[in-house]
Amino acid sequence: MALRTAILRHIRVPVQTLTLTGPKQHEQWSVCGSSLRFMSSHDDHLTKEEVIDRVLSVVKCFPKVDPSQVTPDVHFQKDLGLDSLDNVEIVMALEEEFKLEIPDKEADKIDSCNLAIEYISHHPMAS
Amino acid sequence: MSFTLRSVKVPPNSVNLEEARSRVFDFFRSACRSIPSIIDIYNLDEVVTKSQLRSTIAAEIRKNCHVTNPKVIDMLLFKGMEELNNILEHAKQRHHMIGQYVVGHHGLVQDLDSKDQGLSDFLKNFYKSNYF
Repeated sequence: MALRTAILRHIRVPVQTLTLTGPKQHEQWSVCGSSLRFMSSHDDHLTKEEVIDRVLSVVKCFPKVDPSQVTPDVHFQKDLGLDSLDNVEIVMALEEEFKLEIPDKEADKIDSCNLAIEYISHHPMAS
Repeated sequence: MSFTLRSVKVPPNSVNLEEARSRVFDFFRSACRSIPSIIDIYNLDEVVTKSQLRSTIAAEIRKNCHVTNPKVIDMLLFKGMEELNNILEHAKQRHHMIGQYVVGHHGLVQDLDSKDQGLSDFLKNFYKSNYF
């Protein structure tokens, strides 16, 4: 009970400042609302452009790949001349870059930049 | 010896080449996922990067890419699994890791200089490595 009142008191504070100071503070409040969502893990979600950039830089850094050939819809084995083991290696590099653990069955399906970007941008834990 | 036998259990044989192949990829993935802890255990962060180690593992696997017998692949996988377990159990020391997986088979001394050309093959092999 004491905890509940303590929490309620804590939460009410910004609401009071909003009503007291009116429209002047309104802008600041909305900024707080979007950037300071505590206890929310989905707030730092990646944008698609960022995912594309980082996936491409990982693929370009791969030693056997010619960086000039890498585009967002390149196929690892058909276009870049890699073998299946290189494919797995790239997927592992992507896992490390985005701090994910991709299950084996889905990792097998990722064989092009396009699919990798698609998978990572829809993954909730990518960071 | 009993230590390693306890930690590595022998899986049933692969039925066909396709299953053996997918087991190789599973092994490669588990090896890649243990790279951060390997770097941590042996303090390798100043001598090697994660992607270099990943490429080294892939190169070790690719050495046996011509093998098509599923039983032989299973045996090689078992050896790889055993090696990975030994590494993760800290059964090796830092110089083993550096010698086998960081410096690799090129060795610390490489004859880039003109004065190395006259060196005898025996000495070159001696400098190279004792890991075969």
